[in-house]
Amino acid sequence: MIHQVTNPIGVMALAKREIHRFFSVANQTIFPPLVSSALFMYIFGIAVGSRVNFSAMGLTYLQFIIPGLMAMHLISSAYENTSSSLFIGRWHNHIQEILLAPLSYIEMVLGLLAGGVARGMLVCLGIWLVSLFFTPGSIIHPLALIYFMLMITVIFSCAGMMGALWAEDFGMLSMWNTYVIIPLALLGGVFHPISLLLPGLQIISHFNPLYYMVSGIRYSMTNVTDTPVATCAIVSLGMAAAVFTATVYLFKIGYKLRT
Amino acid sequence: MRDSELAISIRALTKFYNNLQALDKIAFEVKRGDFFAFLGPNGAGKTTTINVLTGLSNYQSGEVKVFGYDVTAEYLHSRRLIGLCAQESNFDPFLSIYQLLVYQAEYFGIPPWEAKRRANELLERFGLEEKRNAKHRALSGGMKKRLLLCRALIHDPEILILDEPTSGCDLELKFLIWDYLLQLNKEGKTIFLTTHYMEEAEKLCKTIGIINNGKIVRIGDKKQILQDKSLQDVFLEITGIE
Ligand SMILES: Nc1ncnc2c1ncn2[C@@H]1O[C@H](COP(=O)(O)OP(=O)(O)OP(=O)(O)O)[C@@H](O)[C@H]1O
Ligand SMILES: [Mg+2]
Repeated sequence: MIHQVTNPIGVMALAKREIHRFFSVANQTIFPPLVSSALFMYIFGIAVGSRVNFSAMGLTYLQFIIPGLMAMHLISSAYENTSSSLFIGRWHNHIQEILLAPLSYIEMVLGLLAGGVARGMLVCLGIWLVSLFFTPGSIIHPLALIYFMLMITVIFSCAGMMGALWAEDFGMLSMWNTYVIIPLALLGGVFHPISLLLPGLQIISHFNPLYYMVSGIRYSMTNVTDTPVATCAIVSLGMAAAVFTATVYLFKIGYKLRT
Repeated sequence: MRDSELAISIRALTKFYNNLQALDKIAFEVKRGDFFAFLGPNGAGKTTTINVLTGLSNYQSGEVKVFGYDVTAEYLHSRRLIGLCAQESNFDPFLSIYQLLVYQAEYFGIPPWEAKRRANELLERFGLEEKRNAKHRALSGGMKKRLLLCRALIHDPEILILDEPTSGCDLELKFLIWDYLLQLNKEGKTIFLTTHYMEEAEKLCKTIGIINNGKIVRIGDKKQILQDKSLQDVFLEITGIE
């Protein structure tokens, strides 16, 4: 019965509430990544980037980091949205409003997920719009972009929920983002092509799943990639399926949700 | 709804919190349409039993059904039928009280236009319409109790489970709630009430169950349990309180 979707109104309501929640604090959820990305584009892309000899892949350095910034904020926005929403729900115990409702566990996860997916995509596209002030650019593969945005936001929205269940206080909640997710994203090539790394580090980078996600977004935006896009697509899909299943399972057993 | 004459049926329910045994093979039934008072001292296991019924707690063994639906295997059906008025208030701090009622209705699959109508109706019924745009934090204790009741009723449940609904309420509100519960019961809804006010249970209920230390120690018809004594005397006698 965990795989039933029988209550579309309920799922929509939950999704609506999650989106409402981050919109109502847009100055904390939407604008900060746009501002910081604009600064990165100006400082690294223009001020520094124009002075470095970056001929790799036929892009300017600015054109190279724009998809990187989009990917990084897709990841962290999705994670922050679901992790804070679910953790605060546990903290104030209003998570019970959902646990009492006739929502299957898959529906609960889908509803909460919607907030992370919407926020991640909004921020990602917002960064692209901001980038148009600095350099003209188009989206070369829009369908691929939608695919990777969806996969990445699903993965990190689910990761956010797992983080929210695991955490016992607000410090533990942000730990994953600070010490694991953002470092892996940065090492995955937000600001550098991994071909610039020493050969040993290049090999290690191929074990970093976030490398494939950053590459997928970069391919979608610029048609440039240093790893086959099919690999990126498969790794992302596999991870999305795995974390989604794991999250639904945690809801089913009621891990830290039911006493 | 499954054609069950039993609103609640619990068999050999055992529940541990880590090493602490909160429920010890409890078993009892509540008939459809009954007004059932579930009494017991602090820490006896009342809220735990309610949490198992509503799906807020896992349990180690036993069989728990609501209108014939198993609360674990058939939770989507059982949850639709239950309205819970919890012991402590737990509302989404980001929403106005009107919004949180509308969302709660929609979680139960009620379409938005109908959810709004019901939210308005209940806010009016319980005198909260002036506060509709306030967050729950801005409500007084009694108002929060009323809001808990509104939320429990928003999807028109078949069984209303109330965990100390009148604690901290003034007399006027107490009477309002009593009248409302009696009216609901007359309309055929099953009511499951826990309370520490013996006069409340004595006045309202038809059937009484008493739990002590995680065990059901007495259950039966009100008249049969009371005979000529007051509920308070019976309660003290059964629970062994001097
Ligand atoms: N989440 C929990 N974790 C650990 N122990 C718990 C938890 N909830 C309740 N207990 C324990 O289970 C026992 C039964 O508690 P319960 O809340 O069911 O009592 P109650 O009958 O509702 O009491 P009260 O009248 O005070 O509300 C108590 O010993 C309590 O300490
Ligand atoms: Mg209690």
